[in-house]
Amino acid sequence: MYIPSYDDLTPSIPDITPGEPLARVQQILPQHHRPVVAGSPPPGDMSSARLFACLRSTDAKEMLTLVAIARDFSPRLERHGSTSVVLDVGGLGRLLGDPETIARELQRAAAARGARVRIAVARTHTAARLLAACPERAKRVEGGDAAEAVASLPLDTLRVLIEDRYAGEPNAAQLKATTMRLDTLRRWGLTTLGEVAALPVADLSERMGQHGVMLQRLAAGIDLAPLVPDPGTPRFVQRMELEWPIDALEPLSFVLARLLDPLSIALERADRGAAAVRLDLRLVDRTVHQRVLQLPAAMRDPRVLRTLLLLDLESHPPSAGIDIVAIEIDPAPARIVQYSLLARALPSPETLATLAARLGALVGETRCGSPALLDTWRPDAFEMQRFAPESPRANRESRFAVRDSLILRRFRPPVAVRVTVDRGRPVRVFIDRRGMPGGHVQQAAGPWRTSGAWWDAAPGAPWDRDEWDVALSDGSICRLFHDRLGDCWFLDGVLD
Amino acid sequence: MTCRLTRLIRGVPLRILTCERRRKSEMPGARAHLESLLRERKLDVTLTSGAPWARVARDGAPTGIAQIDDALGGGLVRGHLSEIVGPRSSGRTSVLCRVFAAAAERGEAVALIDTCDRFDPASAESAGVDLTKLLWVRDTGNADRALKAMNLVLQAGGFGIVAFDLADVHAVAVRQFPYTTWMRIARVIEGSQTVALIAGAERIARSPGGVTIALDAPADGPRGRWSGTANRARLLRGLDVQPRIVGMR
Repeated sequence: MYIPSYDDLTPSIPDITPGEPLARVQQILPQHHRPVVAGSPPPGDMSSARLFACLRSTDAKEMLTLVAIARDFSPRLERHGSTSVVLDVGGLGRLLGDPETIARELQRAAAARGARVRIAVARTHTAARLLAACPERAKRVEGGDAAEAVASLPLDTLRVLIEDRYAGEPNAAQLKATTMRLDTLRRWGLTTLGEVAALPVADLSERMGQHGVMLQRLAAGIDLAPLVPDPGTPRFVQRMELEWPIDALEPLSFVLARLLDPLSIALERADRGAAAVRLDLRLVDRTVHQRVLQLPAAMRDPRVLRTLLLLDLESHPPSAGIDIVAIEIDPAPARIVQYSLLARALPSPETLATLAARLGALVGETRCGSPALLDTWRPDAFEMQRFAPESPRANRESRFAVRDSLILRRFRPPVAVRVTVDRGRPVRVFIDRRGMPGGHVQQAAGPWRTSGAWWDAAPGAPWDRDEWDVALSDGSICRLFHDRLGDCWFLDGVLD
Repeated sequence: MTCRLTRLIRGVPLRILTCERRRKSEMPGARAHLESLLRERKLDVTLTSGAPWARVARDGAPTGIAQIDDALGGGLVRGHLSEIVGPRSSGRTSVLCRVFAAAAERGEAVALIDTCDRFDPASAESAGVDLTKLLWVRDTGNADRALKAMNLVLQAGGFGIVAFDLADVHAVAVRQFPYTTWMRIARVIEGSQTVALIAGAERIARSPGGVTIALDAPADGPRGRWSGTANRARLLRGLDVQPRIVGMR
C-alpha cells in the first residue's frame, strides 16, 4: 500500500498550496489522486471491498460440508439456521479475482465435495442470503448495490431469512408474528423486495412498528447486525525450545508433562479429548522426528498421554539430541460412558491404549492384539487387529465346524519331520528336536487334501498338502501334513 | 489354636480369640465372625478358605464344563491364581478355550499370554471363543518376557480371565522362576474380579485360594476318540478329557 506524501502531490495539483485547510485538501484530493487506504477501496477494485458469499443447501445433513467448504476460503464465517453459511470473502479479490470468479471457485469446491449448494455473492451478507434463498434466481452474483441486487426477488424470500433467524428457538410466537407481518405486506399488494424497500419508512413504522422497519431493511439487503464469525475449532498446540539438547527419555518425560498438562486443561475446558497426538521433535541435526499416535478413544489424561508418547519413543527413538519439542492434539468430542450395573465392565480405552503400548514395546507391536481370521482357506491365515473388546462380534460363519471339538496347538513355522509311509499311510514319525512328539502311529485319519493360490507366482504363496491326524505311541495326537509341492512332511501342530 | 491365632493376628478383639473356651454350640457363629474379621484384614487365605464351611456360594467364573464347574462349586475362583496342567494332548488347550468361550459369553474380556505362539485362532473360534474379546500376546519362547507381559495385563485390570500358556516351555525354564513370582502375581489379582490361569505340563503354582485342574491320561488307552474301522473311513472325533481337581483347599 502506497500513501503519497504531500510533496508527491503538489506538482500535479496546482489548486493546493501549503497552508490550505485540511477540509479543502480532502475536497480537492479525490479529483486528482486517491490514496489506497484500508477500508476504502479504489473504484472498480473488488479486492478489499465488503463482499460476502452465502452457501445454502436444502439438506441439513450437509451443514458440516458447507462449513468445511467455507473454511477453505475464509476463516470468517457465520452459520444461519441449519442449512446456510455466510462467509466474508472481502479479501479474496486479490487472490481469485472478481465476484464471479469467487463464486465459480466456491461452486467448484462444493462440487469436489459432492455437495449440492446454491451459492450467492453480494455486498452485504443479508443480500447474499436473500439471493441464495431464492431458487428461481438465475444470477446470484451481484457486485453492485445490495438493494438493487435483491429488488426483484419475490417477497416470500424474506420468509426463509426469518425462519433461519428463529430456527431452534422453542418459542414460536416471534416467528408467527413476523410471518403475519409478511402476510400483511402481501395483502397490501407488494410482491417483490424492491417494492417493500421503496415504502416510506415513517409510514411503515406507524403501521408495523420497528418490526416492519426491520423487514424493510432486510428487503433492502441491509445488514441488521455485523457478521459474527464462528469461533471454529481451536488448535491445541504446545511447543518448547530447550536451552540444552535432550538425549534421554527420562528428562524428556518432564518436558512432555509440562506441555501436556496445559493441553489437558484446555481440552477439558473445551469438552474435548485427544483423538490423535502429534509429536514433533526437532533434533540437533536439523531433522524433525515426527510421531503420530492414533488413540482408540478420545482421552485427555496427561499421565496416560505422556506414558503413551514415552512408550512410543522407546520403540522409535530419535536419532539425535532434541532441540525443540512440539505437541499438537487433534481434538474430538469427549467420551461419555454410561456403565451398566449388570454387565461386567471392560477395560477402559485409556487402560487398553496404555497396555497395548507397553506390550508393543515389550513383544512388538504386531505381536499383540486380537486375531481376526482371513477369508481364505489357507491354513493358519489370520491377521492381528487392535484389541477393542467393545466392538460387536463378527457375524461370520465358521469354516472349521467339521472339527469343532479339536483345538490345535500350532507350530509356527511347521516343524519338518521324517515320516515312514506304508501303503500311502504314515506309520512312524521321527523328529530330531528334543521335547517334540514322535513314535509309532497307532491311529491315523486322513488324508484331507487342500490346495490353493496356484495362480500366485510369489514364492511360498501356493500350497498343496495332505493333512493327517495321527495318534502316536508317546500319547500325543498330532496333525501332520505332506507338502505335495516339496514332497516333504511337516508337523502342523498338536491336538490338545 | 488360640495361641496360634494370637501369634498370627494382632489387634483382633480378645473375645473372638477366646472362642475356644466357650461351649461347643457357640463355635460355628464365633468362628464365622472370626473369619469375617480375618477376611477384612486379608489374612484369611491361609487359614479359612480351605475349610469345608467356607465353601459358600461365591462369584466364580464358570468354565463352561459342567463336570469341572460342579467340582469347583460354581467355577474358578476370582482373584486367585489357578492352573490347568496335563501332558501333551490331554485337553489343556481345549479346557482353556472353553473357559475363554464361557467368559466371552458373559461379556468379559480375556487375555492369553502365549509364550511359544501356539494358539490357533481358527480352532479357537470354532470352539466358541469370541476373538474380538481376546487379547493375544504372542511371544517367541522367552518365558521371562512373557511373564512381564502377564504382569502388565494383570496390572491393567478389567479382564475376566488372564491365561499364561507355559505348556511348551521347558520344565527347567519354568522352575527357574522364583516362587515369589507367583506370590507376586497372586497378590496383584487379590481382591479383583480376574482369574489368573496357568496352563502347563506339570504343576507350577497356584494361590492358596486357587485350584489345580489336572488332566490325566485315561487308564484304558489313548486319549483320542476315533470312529470308523476302515482306514479310509476313520475320523478323529475328539479328545477324552479327564479332569481332576487337585488343590481345592
